[in-house]
Amino acid sequence: MALSFKVKAISRKRFIKNIFLSFIYLLSFLLILFSKSDYIVINKFKSISNTYLHPITSFVTTPLKVASNLQTQFYEFRNLKVENKILKEEIMRLKKWQALAIHNSSENRVLKKLLNATNNNLSLVKTASILTRNDFMYSKMVKINAGLKDGVIKEMAVINHRGLVGRTVDTSINNSKVLLLTDPNSSISIKTISNENHSLVRGADDGVHLVSAFMKDEKMPKVGDLVVTSGSAQVFPADILVGKIVKIIKNNFYVLPFVNFKNIDYVQVVETK
Amino acid sequence: MLSKLLSSQIIIYHCILFFSFSLSVNYFVDLEIVNYLAYVCFHLTLIYLFFYFFHFSHIFVTFLYAIFFDIFLVDSISPHLITFLAFVVLFYFTKKYLLNLSSSNVSYIIFILTLIMFISEALIANLQFNYPINFENFLWIFITFIIIFYPTLVVFSKIDKL
Repeated sequence: MALSFKVKAISRKRFIKNIFLSFIYLLSFLLILFSKSDYIVINKFKSISNTYLHPITSFVTTPLKVASNLQTQFYEFRNLKVENKILKEEIMRLKKWQALAIHNSSENRVLKKLLNATNNNLSLVKTASILTRNDFMYSKMVKINAGLKDGVIKEMAVINHRGLVGRTVDTSINNSKVLLLTDPNSSISIKTISNENHSLVRGADDGVHLVSAFMKDEKMPKVGDLVVTSGSAQVFPADILVGKIVKIIKNNFYVLPFVNFKNIDYVQVVETK
Repeated sequence: MLSKLLSSQIIIYHCILFFSFSLSVNYFVDLEIVNYLAYVCFHLTLIYLFFYFFHFSHIFVTFLYAIFFDIFLVDSISPHLITFLAFVVLFYFTKKYLLNLSSSNVSYIIFILTLIMFISEALIANLQFNYPINFENFLWIFITFIIIFYPTLVVFSKIDKL
């Protein structure tokens, strides 16, 4: 009697374990399936985990962040003298450029009036700072402290003082995720400044450059050409600086972005007026 | 059963898991090596926990970590979840043979399993989401793994004796 009870208890325990295991596998299968089909439940789940779990992980890593900042400050302090000399030279150079820029700006204004041209087509939605970075292994993403409450929605362009940074892909009330240009799944339509070559570029395998994915009329641009957004894909406003073509390998050109992705602190979310 | 689950060693291992997970998903641009260390340490701790402190609840914990790794590092659920669950199945159905092995053989198996996990995660991410296999990243992971493998096991064996 006791033996049969024990056997029953063991088989019942095993049965529950097998049910639990099957449930976990079924749930995993559904999650993978929904993730592939971009199902709304998964997006909600991602938003919730970003909102609630990420602050906890950030808090846990605070000592490391402090150590990292101290290291940066130490290096900056060590290079202070050399940097000061470089900056003095830069000021001299920029003063000459400033005089030229003021002259060009007034000339530009007069010419725009004559041609009845429209002004800058960008409107600023929000200036935000980088909260956390997730561009360690696979995807190249950063999280910013601007979300739906600031008017930031999905598929908005994100820029900084150097040029295009990326686009928003996931927004919650307070935060948004920005897919950087260098992500292999980020595709943008660009054109050369001379307006001759229109093409699509995506993040290259090295995680630093952008590589051409499609070229209109198979026209190959030259090394040294500057590229800007073409505005044709409706996500990015036209004429935002992207980078410079640095090499051409096997019918593909490589663009080095102007933005230093290792050193971005503040970004601006913009939209077309 | 509950006392087994809440033993001091297991709590320490779960703290290590959570701490290394937190470090892995927050990228430190100037201290990149910390990210590699944490990523390797997480995988190693998880496999060690399964081998020496297996409990059914660990499957659920692994499932959760896999999902969050995928969300934070890949932004789509798949590579870590598939890899971790494949490991769970493999372990669950072979544990009666694995647990009879000597400690040195177990450490070889942990070594091989960890390497297989890194490779399969990268392969799945590449096949499903077009993320290229970055050899520089891989090299760093392998170097870090080879350097910390033995010291980590030594530390873990010290924790086991607590």
